[in-house]
Parts: sequence; structure tokens; C-alpha cells
Amino acid sequence: MSKSVLGLYDDANQAADAMDALKAAGFPLGTFDVLTGTPYPEGAFGEHVPQHRLFRFPAFGAIIGFTLALFLTTATQIAYPLVTGGKPILSLFAMLVILYEMSMLSAVISTVVGIVIESRLPNVNPGVYDPRITEGLIGVVITTEDDQADTAIAALNGAGAMEIKQA
Amino acid sequence: MASEVIHTAGAHAEAHEEGHHELPARVDPDVALSELVATTEANGSAVRTWAWILGILSLVGIVSFGVKVGIEWGDQAKWGYTAAIVAFLFSAFGGAPLVAIAPMIAKANWVRPVARFAQLCSLVSIVISIWMIPLILNLPMLIVDGARRRSIWFEGPDVSPHIWAVVALTTLIISSVGLIWAYGMPDFAVMRDHGTGWKQRFGNWAARGWIGSTVQWRTMRMRIGMMGTLYFFTFVFIHFMLSTDFAMSLVPGWRDAIFPMYHAISSIQAGLAVTVIGIWAARKYLGLEKYLHLDQFWSIGRLMFAFTLLWGYFFISAFIVFWYGRSGSDQMWIDFLILGPYFWVFIGAVLLIWFTPWWWLIWNKVRRSYNGTAIGAGLILAGVFLDRVRLYVAAWSVPEERIHERFLTEYPGTVYPDVMDILIMVGAVAASVLLVILATRVLPILSVWDVQQFNLLYRPVDYMKTKVSLIGKPD
Amino acid sequence: MQQRRTIDQIHTNRVLLNGQLDTPKWWAPTVITLGIIVAIGFFLIGIMVNKGLGVTGLSRPVYWGLFITTFVFWVGISHAGIMISAILRLSQAEWRRPVTRAAELLTVFSLLTALMFPLMHAGRPWRIIYYIVPYDFARGIMPNVRSPLIWDPVAISTYLTGSTLFLYIALLPDLGNLRDRTTGWQKAFYTILALGWRGNPRQWKLQTVGGILLSALMLPIFVSVHSIVSWDFAVTPAVEGWHSTIFAPYFVIGAVHSGVSAVVTMMALMRWLWKWEDFIRPEHFDALARLLIVVATGWLAFTFLELIFAVYGLDAPEIELRDMQIFQWPWNLLFVVFVFTGYIIPVGMWLQKSVRNNIALMFWSSLFVNIGMWLERFMIIVPGLARKTPFVYTWEAYRPSGLEWFILFWSLAWVTFLMLLFSRFFPLVPLFEQKESQTFGDSIKIGRARVPAIVREAD
Repeated sequence: MSKSVLGLYDDANQAADAMDALKAAGFPLGTFDVLTGTPYPEGAFGEHVPQHRLFRFPAFGAIIGFTLALFLTTATQIAYPLVTGGKPILSLFAMLVILYEMSMLSAVISTVVGIVIESRLPNVNPGVYDPRITEGLIGVVITTEDDQADTAIAALNGAGAMEIKQA
Repeated sequence: MASEVIHTAGAHAEAHEEGHHELPARVDPDVALSELVATTEANGSAVRTWAWILGILSLVGIVSFGVKVGIEWGDQAKWGYTAAIVAFLFSAFGGAPLVAIAPMIAKANWVRPVARFAQLCSLVSIVISIWMIPLILNLPMLIVDGARRRSIWFEGPDVSPHIWAVVALTTLIISSVGLIWAYGMPDFAVMRDHGTGWKQRFGNWAARGWIGSTVQWRTMRMRIGMMGTLYFFTFVFIHFMLSTDFAMSLVPGWRDAIFPMYHAISSIQAGLAVTVIGIWAARKYLGLEKYLHLDQFWSIGRLMFAFTLLWGYFFISAFIVFWYGRSGSDQMWIDFLILGPYFWVFIGAVLLIWFTPWWWLIWNKVRRSYNGTAIGAGLILAGVFLDRVRLYVAAWSVPEERIHERFLTEYPGTVYPDVMDILIMVGAVAASVLLVILATRVLPILSVWDVQQFNLLYRPVDYMKTKVSLIGKPD
Repeated sequence: MQQRRTIDQIHTNRVLLNGQLDTPKWWAPTVITLGIIVAIGFFLIGIMVNKGLGVTGLSRPVYWGLFITTFVFWVGISHAGIMISAILRLSQAEWRRPVTRAAELLTVFSLLTALMFPLMHAGRPWRIIYYIVPYDFARGIMPNVRSPLIWDPVAISTYLTGSTLFLYIALLPDLGNLRDRTTGWQKAFYTILALGWRGNPRQWKLQTVGGILLSALMLPIFVSVHSIVSWDFAVTPAVEGWHSTIFAPYFVIGAVHSGVSAVVTMMALMRWLWKWEDFIRPEHFDALARLLIVVATGWLAFTFLELIFAVYGLDAPEIELRDMQIFQWPWNLLFVVFVFTGYIIPVGMWLQKSVRNNIALMFWSSLFVNIGMWLERFMIIVPGLARKTPFVYTWEAYRPSGLEWFILFWSLAWVTFLMLLFSRFFPLVPLFEQKESQTFGDSIKIGRARVPAIVREAD
């Protein structure tokens, strides 16, 4: 059985110490995390700096949108070849506007999807948590085996946790 | 919260993740002072050689100029390339000081080491003024063959374009010298106190008794503000004037309200590019790595990218209106200025000013590298040059007797540069570069007081378990 | 000048969530009153659909009038959001923080409103579907992508979708906050919307990187939308005064002028109504006013170029049109009001530091701008149509009917109504941005002075 332990701190430096203590106690990176109500400079808690592939999403999205738009604008014009304003049926400069908008739309949508996915959301089972984190407390949370829990709690307490929660 | 651990020169802040560049170290004030003053003497022999080469090229340019005046005076079509090079030089070097002015207003700290070089570029106004003389004299009067031609001066006196061009150029010289001087006063004082020989004497004269009192700093800031504003408005006006009097109104039927703005936008783009190339060279040849960091390249690179996209936007804004309009004058714009005699020049311009830099500068990796950004800048400069050739050579090739036509119906053929044109163009560029190089012998290429200020407001500090920089934002 | 003060997170939560957790007393009566106006507006639109466009003052040759003017006006206002939130985010301007959410919201609701105007203007709105949906409903007819009237819905729906998603993504941390502060059905509601937000470094990092990336993507869309709206006019050579190459950037910068002014109006209201004096401070108005001086002056330059090059061609009809627009009754009155309210009065005021820091004066000056900018659109659209042109054998002055005026008024009520409704459920000031500015704000000591400083990560 694995278990989640959350240590709450009102001082960010203590939380950073707790992260160090967990590292020192031999818990592998990635099993513990810090929860805050506001962003901190990256690495402020000595945490594992998360990697992401967000930049691929808009590129992928734009290509799809562009292709779709190309198909749509071409196909509709060929299906209904009515000359207006003396322009060629496949007027590149008119199509450009639609190509542009649809590429951008698709890029934005895929970026948003990317942000959600890369944030590991939606998170149906958020685990142990405390509402006071959004009031300024810092939470250090660790998921570990039952028999390791005590070590984790000791490490969290050692850094000066004001409260420990378990689930 | 952040403890103030100040790294002095030599101490390296550790980059904590791959892809993140190191936080630049602060430089000791006295080290900065002596190193920057030393740049005015640095590479003496190499600079001298280059100065000779550039000087000779400029001289050759001026001589060909005289020859051309002698044999091709009054033939408007022959002066297209001179117009193009003037427009290019003003676009590129004239746009550079805006790189110094605009971020200053936004209180950006990164711009401080770059500001001096960007301002020095405006000295090119002197070269432009000389090269403009035959253009002004060859410009048609407002009343041609007894009838008024289209111009932005409407019912103005017959010589309005000529007079305003002179007024504008004079203001440009005054404002550019004024800006450099107002901004440089503390550095002239530095040269007075730490320079040698004639440079010291010149510094003594130019510093006007600068001792760095609170009042002096306050008045200096005011002067910079005034000169910066004057420069900005002159810049806008000259783009308006160049693009209309020296291009648009020479072509009957060319009515393009966005054109002055298009001209100005591509000028800022080129100004950014010149600045990048300048600081790239300063890093490489003057050993100023300590003061010019990726931060500067990254910031200018981003702006350059934005302006590259803006070029596309301004172009298409005009293009689509003409393309849809289909009236005679609309069609003329496309047929003459795009598909016409300079089609390949146009294609080259589009590729270099817009398409290639777009797909080059879009990469974070490129903008995070010194060479990558500089290559992008080089492409843009080449593109802007071609663009000016396409516009100005085409405009000047239209014979004066057709100026009253509703719109141009027969297009003059391609005008190729002759030897004199090439020498004049090379000479103009050489003279411009020479002026900037000479100026860096009198004033350090990086403003000493700005670099000190940069260091004062910038602190690499430890923030809990990581390293960050603290940037002061004074009023 | 940046007054830095320490505000703890509990206080921030209590004050900035007062709209949701402790709804102010004025809220319900205001929403009900606006609701009535909105209902009357919808009723009038219903009448118009039933009776046809005859109930408006539109008639040949002025076939675009108040509705299209108001459409352009709202599209313009919608440029507030991305201007503030994307450009200021990319340029790392600290003072953007309390403003971003409200500005994005204004974008979404004003676009929504803008979209309704061409619909009602069409007379039979459902028929629009035939010309924008690429589906063969009958007779093999497909949308004509060569028409700017197709570009419009594509661009606006792109912008609307993008802005809405952007708004939602930036709302995630605050939704997590609300989830933690509420109980019962509200908690369930926010729990679902927050998607299980916890605030770990990965989520914060994606919030930051994603915000920048979305800003960079939204920026070109933002520019394209009003450009495309401007091309509705500019690609038409038949109407004097419309066929100008400058229209696209001219419209965009005008939109930024009116949009940012609308944000100022809204911020003043937010500060007064929700008592957010700690968060929306004079320094924010000061910064916005400085930005507005630059934008307004740029806009003036474009206005000048537009006018100059209209007469530059020396075409008699065009010169006549401008003569009418500027010197003939009643256009001369409108023109003077437009110049004074759009530029001279507000910019004259903003040049004074005392005005920039005075919230009431900022409020009124920003209202002036939008009166002027509405008139600007009216002056662009109607005069050109009102003049006699080839193939049109009537000229007629256009006089908007009472119904059109009411619908203009309705649109104001409608946007306010939507904003207030939103404010009941979601915070108008991003709490996490506020807290972030506390975490990242610092000061450095230089001699005896403490200079406000900002923490920047290595990038």
C-alpha cells in the first residue's frame, strides 16, 4: 500500500529544508513535490525542475489547421466555381486569410490542450491536500510505501512542519 | 527574502538547468571603467588599417559622385540607386537610436550596454545629408509644365519638398549629435579624467564641466528626454518625407497611405539589425564579452522577430487592398512595383526581410546564440537594402514628363546600376561605418555610466535554493 | 513609484474573492435592472426580425449604419484584452497583474456582443448559416472565401475561442483557490472546473510558459481580427473613403486606444464597487495613462495619414467627401466632437501627473475616448455611403431610428450584465498574479535608498 504524507509549513525556507531532508533520507526525486499558492522562482525549493514538451503542441496544431483550411478553401471553391470580382477561383490571397486564421485557431486549441496535458490535469485523485495552501502555507507532499511513511514524517517534522496530514 | 550575495567579476553563477544561460556576473566599477576606456585605444593598428580602407572607399564614393554629377546631372533615372542607398542608410542606421530610446522609456535594464552604440549610428545623418544633395536638386518642382503635381505639400510653394528636405536633414543632424552629446556627457568626463592626448582634451571640452552632481544628472536626464523626443519625431518625419517626396509622388497613381509607416517599420527592423551586428562586433573584436550578454541578444532578437512579422503585416495590408481594388492605379502598384521590372529584387527582398528571418529567428535556440541572432540581422539588412532598391530605383526611373498621368500605364524598364552607382553605394556604406568607428575612438562604444548603472541595478542573488537576478526599477 | 506593500495571502483571498464569497449588496439590484434592459433589447431585436430592417433608419445608399458602427466599436473594445494581457506579459510589465483578467473578460464579452450586430443587421439571422457554413444545404452553393464577409466570422470566432480558452487557463489557479474556500454545490462546481489543480511546480511552470506561449499566439490573431474587419471596407473600391491601404493598422491601433480606455473605465468601476483599493492602485492608472498617451498619439498619426492620403490623389469625389466629413453640417459637429473626445481632451488630461493618479478623472477621460472612438467608426462608415456614387441614384442622409439607438444602449447594458454575472462566480482580479507579484517583488539597497526590484529567473 502506498501512502501520501503532507507536511505544512508557513515558512518557505523550512519547506525547502524539508525537500532537502527527504532527498537526504533517500526518497527518489519525483516521489515528493511542493505545493504552493503562488509560483516561486524555478528551483527555489531545490525541486526537480519539470520538463515539458509544450512547444510541440502549437506546431502540430498549426499544421493540422493549415491542412484543414487548405482543403476547405480549395474544395468549396471548386465545388462552387462562381467567379466574383474577376478573381481566379483559387485566389491565394483570399484563401490566405482563412488559412492563417484556421492555423492559428488550431494552434491555440492544441496549446491549451497541451497545457492541460503537460500540467498532468485533469487530476481526478489529487491525494492529500490542505485548503490552507491557497492561503499561503507551503505543502510538501510525498507518496511512499507504508513502511517508509515514518521516515518521511520524521524528515518533514525535522524541517519544522507545523502540521502533518496523511491519506 | 533574497539574500544579497553579490558575485563580482570572475565568480560564476551556476546555471541550474540545461538551456538556461548563466546569470551574467557583475563587473567591478573600476574594472569596467578602465576596460571600457581602453576600448577607445583597442586594436589601434587594425582600426587604423580599417579606417584607411573605409576612408579610401568613401573618398572613391565621393569622387564618383562628382563624376556622376558632371555627366548625369538632370537625368532623374540615373539617381535611383543613390536614392536607394540614402533610404537604406537612413532606414538602417537612423532606426538604430530608437532601439536605445524605446526600451529606455519602458525602463528595461538590458538596453543600457547597447544604448551608446545605437545612438552613435545616428551620426550617419551626416553622410546622408551629403548624399542627399543631388537628390534634392534633381527632385521635380511642385509645378511641372505649368500644372501642379501630386504631393503631400498640396498648395505649398513650388520648392516645398526641397526646402523641407533640407530642414528635416538639419534637424536630424542637430538631434542626433544632440542626443549623443547629451547622453555622452558623463563619458566625456570619463575621457577627460582617464583618457590621454587629444581624446582627453576633446573630452575636457565636450564634458562642459561635468562633475556628476545631482543637479547635473537631473538636467542630463531631461536633456536626453528632449533630444530623444526630438530625434523620434524627426525620424518619423523623415520617413514620411523620404517615402512620399522621394518615392511615392514620383510615380503617378501610387497612392498608398500605409507606405510611410511601412517605411518606418522596416527601418526599425533594420535599426535593430544594425545594433545586433554592432554589439556582435564589439564582443568579438573589442573583447566586451563581460558587458554584452545573451540577455541583450535575446531581447533584441525577440524585437527583431516581432518586426519581421510586422513587415509582413504592413506589406499584406497594402497588397490586399490593391489586389482587391483592381482599378487602374491599384493594378499599376502591383504591376510596376512588384511584378514589374524589379520582380526578382522584390522576391529577394521578401525572402531576406521577412520569410527567412521569420523561420530563422522563430527558434529560441537561435535567439539564444550570438551568431544566430547576428546572422538573422545580416539577412534583414540585405533584405531592407533590396527593398529600397525595388522602391526607389523604380520610382526614380519614371520620367518627369509623365508625372501628371492619372496612373502609370507604360512601365520604364529595369535600371541596372553602373560602376559609378556601385562606387557611390559602397562609398556611402563605407563612410557610414567609418564615422561610427571614429566615434568609438572618442567615446567608449559602451556607455560607461550606463554600464555602471546596469551593474548598480542588477544583482545576481541566491533565492532559497536557486539563483535569480534582482533588477532594480528606480523611478 | 511602484508602491510595494506586503499583503498576505489570506487578506488577498478575502478581499479579492468578495464577489464570490461575500456578494456585495448592490449586486442583485444592479443585475436585475440590467437584466430588464437586456430583456427589452432582445424583445426589440425580435421585433426587428419580425418586421424587417424597415424599422431602422437604413436605406439606400446608406446600407451600413449604426449596427455596423457598433459592431466595429465592440470589436475594437475587444482588443483590450490581448493588448493588456499578451503584450504586457511578454514585456514583463509588472503593473499588468491586476488588470489582465478583467481585460481578457472584456475581450470575450465584447466579441460576443460584436458578433450579434452583423447577425441582427442581416435581418434574418439564420440565413447567415448558408453563407458561412461550408455545407451544401441546397443547390450546390458554397461559401465564397474571396469575400471579406466570410473572413470576418472566421477571424472573430478564432479570436473568441482563443480568448475564452486563454481566460480559462489563466483562471485555473484561482478556481483551485475558490474550491478551497467554498462548500456544498459551489465546491463541487469549482472542483470540476479546477481539474484537480494543486499548485505544484509543474503546474506553475506550465501556467507561466503556457501563458507566454498563448500570448505569443494570440497576438497575431489580435492584429488580424481588426485588420480583417477593416478590410470589409478597405477592399471595396466603390465607396469613397474606404479604399485605403492604411485601414488595417489604423483600425488596430484605434481599437487598442478604445480598448485600453475601456479597461481604465472598468478598473475604476472595480476599484469603487468591490473596494479593491489595495490592489487596483493609482500607479496602475498612471501606467495605463502613459501607455494610452503613446497609443493615442500613434493613432492620431494614422488618422493624419489616412486624411492626407485621401486627398493626396487629388480625386474630386474624394475631396468632396472629406469636405463634407469635416466642414459640412452636421458632420462638422461630429468631427469636432470626435477629435476633442478622441484625443485632445483625454490626452491633454493624461499629460498631467495629477490626472493620471486621480481615479475619477481617469474614469471620465476614458469614457470620452470611447465616445470619440465610436464616432470615428461612424465617420468612417456612413459619410462614404451617404454620397452619390456611380450606379447609385439616390443620396440620402442617414438618421438612425430610436430602435437602433436603443440597441446600441442595450449592447452596453448587455456587456455590463455579462461582466457582473461572471463576477458572481469568478474573481475579476487574478489572485495568483497578485500573490506572484508579492513573491517576486523585492528591493535592493543602493546607498541609503531602497529601490524596488523584481526577481527575474535566468532564461
